[in-house]
Amino acid sequence: MKLIAIVEDEPAIRDNYAAAFKREGYAVRIYGTRKEALAAFAARLPDLAVIDISLGEEPEGGYELCRALRSMSAELPIIFLTARDSEIDAVSGLRLGADDFLTKDLSLAHLIARVNALFRRIEALRKPHAEAQIMRRGALTLDAERMQVEWDGQVVLLSLTEFWIVHALAHHPGHVKNRQQLMDAANVVLDDNTITSHVKRIRRKFQALDAKFDAIQTVYGMGYRWVE
Amino acid sequence: MSLRLKLLLLGLATLVLPWAGCQYALEMESALREGEQQSLAATAQTLAAALQGRTDLLYRDAEGSDAAPPGPIDLQPVLLSAAPYLDGYADEWPRSSSAWRTVASGRRQLRILTGVHERWLYVLLEVRDDHVVFDAAGADALDPAGLGDRVWLGFEDPSGSDRQLFIGTTGPGPVRARRIEGRELGRQVAVDEPRISGAWQLIAGGYRIGLRVPLSLLGGRFGVLIDDRDERGGAPESYGTLDRDTLHASGRLILASPELAAYLAQFIQPGMRVTVTTPAGGALGEVDALSVPADAGSDRGILARLYRRLLDQAGTRGLVEADAPITDTDRGAAIGTLRLTQTAARWLPLRDRALTKLLNLTLLTSGAAVVVMFAFAAWLAYRLDRLRRASESALTREGLVTTFPETGSRDELGDVARSFATLLSRLNEYTGYLRTLAGKLAHEIRTPLTIVRSSLENLESEAGSAGARTYIARAREGSERLSAILVAMGAATRVEEAIGSAERQRFDLAGVIASAVDSYRTAFAARRFATELAPGPGALEFTGAPELIVQLLDKLIDNAVDFSPPGATITVRLTADLTSVTLEVENPGPTLAPEGRARLFESLWQSRSGADSRPHFGLGLYIVRLIAEFHGGSVAAGDLPDGSGARFSVRLPR
Repeated sequence: MKLIAIVEDEPAIRDNYAAAFKREGYAVRIYGTRKEALAAFAARLPDLAVIDISLGEEPEGGYELCRALRSMSAELPIIFLTARDSEIDAVSGLRLGADDFLTKDLSLAHLIARVNALFRRIEALRKPHAEAQIMRRGALTLDAERMQVEWDGQVVLLSLTEFWIVHALAHHPGHVKNRQQLMDAANVVLDDNTITSHVKRIRRKFQALDAKFDAIQTVYGMGYRWVE
Repeated sequence: MSLRLKLLLLGLATLVLPWAGCQYALEMESALREGEQQSLAATAQTLAAALQGRTDLLYRDAEGSDAAPPGPIDLQPVLLSAAPYLDGYADEWPRSSSAWRTVASGRRQLRILTGVHERWLYVLLEVRDDHVVFDAAGADALDPAGLGDRVWLGFEDPSGSDRQLFIGTTGPGPVRARRIEGRELGRQVAVDEPRISGAWQLIAGGYRIGLRVPLSLLGGRFGVLIDDRDERGGAPESYGTLDRDTLHASGRLILASPELAAYLAQFIQPGMRVTVTTPAGGALGEVDALSVPADAGSDRGILARLYRRLLDQAGTRGLVEADAPITDTDRGAAIGTLRLTQTAARWLPLRDRALTKLLNLTLLTSGAAVVVMFAFAAWLAYRLDRLRRASESALTREGLVTTFPETGSRDELGDVARSFATLLSRLNEYTGYLRTLAGKLAHEIRTPLTIVRSSLENLESEAGSAGARTYIARAREGSERLSAILVAMGAATRVEEAIGSAERQRFDLAGVIASAVDSYRTAFAARRFATELAPGPGALEFTGAPELIVQLLDKLIDNAVDFSPPGATITVRLTADLTSVTLEVENPGPTLAPEGRARLFESLWQSRSGADSRPHFGLGLYIVRLIAEFHGGSVAAGDLPDGSGARFSVRLPR
């Protein structure tokens, strides 16, 4: 049974999340503070951690916890969950090595879908490549099973949300996907500006590997499309 | 009316000072005049007293001093100002008819006018005569057969004995007076009297004779007799002021003493005139120094002259007169009247000098007051204006940016400025609070909302009865809407963040707009969209953030859709000039409320009243403004010229 650790200072939310995960058949441990969580993690690492950024007295406690956890395990999937939705929070969360950054607006069903997906990815990474799940679009290689993206043979490190956006775009090259479609694909409820900044971040990650990358085009007023 | 103008008018009120000065000057003038009148009367009294009883000084002949009024045959010569020409014409003589003596006999008439100038008596005779008969030429003046019309002068000489002279002429022109002298053997001869000269002139219906007689010849009586003949050598019809038979002069010649003028002259000063008359009013003597200027320096300065012109009413510059009777206490009767006349010139300069000084001073004071007031008003208006400008621009989107002027002043304006500053800083705090309220609220509500929603989701999984599921579904729907509201509330904050991280790039503005409008056609199927892109797609490279520009257009279109009826055509127009591009969105529908027009682009301002399922926080046009300002541009809203709708325009520098 997979063990999910939920670090959240709001008892009602914490308990609700725990109930939902338990229903899905996961083992759940809940912690209200960073100290409490760290002590428990030292004894046993969970299989996945859902961490709130502000933890009681520590407004940035989640970040520190993430850093500590990452130092214990490089592969452990970490999901940030926050009432904040500002750009800076998302960027700094992802820099610290979180696999996804979600706001509390997200429904439980979506949250569970993400958790499931992350576990699937871990499974997939342990197995050999399943060619059937691999999609190639020019220099892009997209492994849906492992949720891994390569550009010209180099791995592009994307968050789960970003991966799903790239996946939705690249699946039908030339087709314009509007923001709503991208949100649905990524199992998120975001406003337009957040989608825009997600796309920007994706472009930047590709451009870090290939300065000439321009496969994602903006169709103003409509959305985005993948061009080969 | 501006404050400046008001205070200027107030300053003009000080012009009452010169006016009061004028009134004072006029008062002073009338007081001066009165004083002058009194002193003149006193002088006249003194002079009259000096002449009291001096009949000898008043009258040439003591007999003339008889206080009895002049009888019909008494002659009182007028005082002639100049010697008349002895030409038989009356031109130089006074025109007044009161001085004439008239003696009539039937249709015949003799008019006598006498006058005195210096040492001469001038006599003007006008005789009405239907048949003027001249003496026969060359005949002896005493030959009765040659006699024509003849004029007799009879008078007493200074020694009191009667003298007679006659004037006859053979034609108009110079005449001589002659006297008849008895010679030996009773022979009579006519002897010329060279001291008497004159001229004879024919006039309509008679003749006129002008004569000059030295006063030294004359005593106290004088008369004229006319021998009128209808034919030469005929019997004369005699009439006149002489006795017809004896030619004795019984009419008095009332003459002033020759010393009178000299006597009076010693009292006279420049600008004065003294006149002595008989009790009946006939002039005896006069010394006139009226026209002699009393003070040559009185007329200096244009201003002085101007003031005098302004102030002097007609007649006030006239003369002052005082009369005093001259009495003879012995006889207890008046022997004459002394009249003293003085020109205003003696005291007007005094008034003028005072007036000029007064007016100069008060006008200067008034002028200075006006200038000072105007300067003060201008300064005050400048301060008020500065305060106004500061208060208008003090509060910007970034908060209270200006340091408030005048707060250091200690006067009332400083109080106002301080109150303003306090008020504005409070307003600033309040606006700042309002501005962040939406974001704060969104943040604070998010956690309890998450609790509600996650609880509902769990409840859903716990699978209650069918009825419970319905309620759960409703509760979830409500929470979804709450979420949407939270997103809308945080929209401006997110746009501000997006602006903070926006990157500028060169892009095809018209192309982006055309593409965006295409998407609106599908999104808002109930509206039609028209585009007027003056620089077409590809023709205009613009530097900016295309996502933001699209977002700006989104908000303008949202607004246009909300305020236009279904089926309406929304026009998107792009125009460009050398320095800027203008993006306009027009929609048919209601016009903008005038009171809200200035605040349309402010945060949390909305004028819509209709029921709408979507949450509105009045942030759409605020976001438009934020994006326009990020691009260095400006926004404006107005009605369409024909009042059929509204137009929003965004002007961006290229």
